[in-house]
Amino acid sequence: MKGLFQISLTELKLAFRNFIYVFFAFVFPPMMLLLFGGMYGNEPSQFYNGHGSVDVLTPAYIGMIMAVSGLMGLPLQLSEYRQHKVLKRFKATPVSTGAIMTPHFLVNGLLCILGTILLVIVGKIVFNLHFLGNLPSFLIAFLISVICIFSIGFLIAAVAPNSRAANAIAYLVYFPMLFLSGATVPLQIMPQAIVTISKFLPLTYCVEILQGTWLGNPLSDFVRAIVILLVISVVCIGASIKAFRWE
Amino acid sequence: MSENTVISVNGLTVKYKDLVAVNNISFEVKKGEIFGIIGPNGAGKTSTIECLEGLKRQTEGKVDVLGINPANRRKLYEHIGVQLQEASFPDDIKVEELCRMFSSFYDTPADYHVLLERFEMADKKKAYVKKLSGGQKQKVSIVVALIANPQIVFLDELTTGLDPQARISMWELINYLRDEGKTIFMTTHFMDEAEYLCDRVCMMVKGEIAAIGTVKELVTQAKLNQKISFSSNNASKETLQSINGVVHVTQNGNVFELHGNGANFQRDIVRYLTENDIEFDDLSSTKPGLEDVFLKLTGYRLGETA
Repeated sequence: MKGLFQISLTELKLAFRNFIYVFFAFVFPPMMLLLFGGMYGNEPSQFYNGHGSVDVLTPAYIGMIMAVSGLMGLPLQLSEYRQHKVLKRFKATPVSTGAIMTPHFLVNGLLCILGTILLVIVGKIVFNLHFLGNLPSFLIAFLISVICIFSIGFLIAAVAPNSRAANAIAYLVYFPMLFLSGATVPLQIMPQAIVTISKFLPLTYCVEILQGTWLGNPLSDFVRAIVILLVISVVCIGASIKAFRWE
Repeated sequence: MSENTVISVNGLTVKYKDLVAVNNISFEVKKGEIFGIIGPNGAGKTSTIECLEGLKRQTEGKVDVLGINPANRRKLYEHIGVQLQEASFPDDIKVEELCRMFSSFYDTPADYHVLLERFEMADKKKAYVKKLSGGQKQKVSIVVALIANPQIVFLDELTTGLDPQARISMWELINYLRDEGKTIFMTTHFMDEAEYLCDRVCMMVKGEIAAIGTVKELVTQAKLNQKISFSSNNASKETLQSINGVVHVTQNGNVFELHGNGANFQRDIVRYLTENDIEFDDLSSTKPGLEDVFLKLTGYRLGETA
């Protein structure tokens, strides 16, 4: 597709120039892992049903990376591009609308993968991280999670009237999900009230399937979570496409 | 559509809910000319240009650009280049990255190195677009428009917000593009800009065409008077009134103002004064311009910064 590669390449460069984004996608998750891994180590712990803390926390932190790229990066870029008529300027070229929109999903998806790889490398080197699952199952869980989180981000971009509103909505969605879904702080240590709230946060189900498949449970254990995530994805994508404006 | 016509607009109407932004306008643009739409804010200039650019759908009417229906956006943009009003580029992008990205959109793009060189922007390749001055940003947006190797360049309020010096240098660039054989379709609310640049002007007011033609034609059509003023100690209002072409004379002390028209108005006056031994000093004449045409048509001045 004409322009797709160059736009994606350029967007990737631009993402790396955004300090806050780089920090939350690449620095913050390994930092948290070093902090909590340092505190609890990766020895089998009764608290985590005999799993090491790092082995349990790492897949949850992958959810954290998804949240920053999907709920912050994606909607903020898109709404900024709309407000400053960058999308409109792209439309004033022979490039297809697909080639204009796809790079934002590709680049944020790629950053998710890169952030995950970095986190895993840090975990492996520092704490001898174990992957106990089946790789295809985990990758499917990863994909389902990315689709769901990105569809929510796309919806934020579609409904926000301007980039300030997108910013406000993104923060309102991102921070509660970050802290109340088990992505940052394990739900096991949360009070019951927060566990109840977490049931309403899509990221909770992402963490559930990422953690579950990472630790070796089959996908079939998580049918409920997967259905919830897919339904949210379909609803958000449909609503986004309907609500999206180019300017 | 004749061979020379590159844009034809027929009965174009654009409505937003209750508001009629453009009301049934028709015109044609010929190859190689600088065609300018001038009018106050809200006159329908941007709605019109965006219909031609395929960025807006008309409510009614037919638009044809280089034989292409602008609804066929991707085909149209193989042949035209645009600068959009207020459009900006990504925040952290560098000039060269922007040019390289836009080059990838075309099968045979113009060499952006050459374009940057020509617009004296070659030393800004590594600069962030957001750090450039207003004039430099507009130069970049023209370079990006020209990467398309366009036959027609659309410029929407290119010089709005620029300082006078940057405006003049934009004018030179636009003239240069026309000399290269490109057709320029522009909108502006600066009368002096339209007067200086445009081969033909379309004056829009409240969504309709108030006048269209060369600046000279518009002035003639509007039947505007020229004004000649001088001071004299032996002239009289009555004799001056009798000069051929003079419509109206005012006197303020020994300063006379003659209003009138005619192909050789100035020469006729001076000849009459000399032949009749009427002394005169401080002679000055004011030719009517687009501003006066606008005033006559609408009853108000557009003003420098309207």
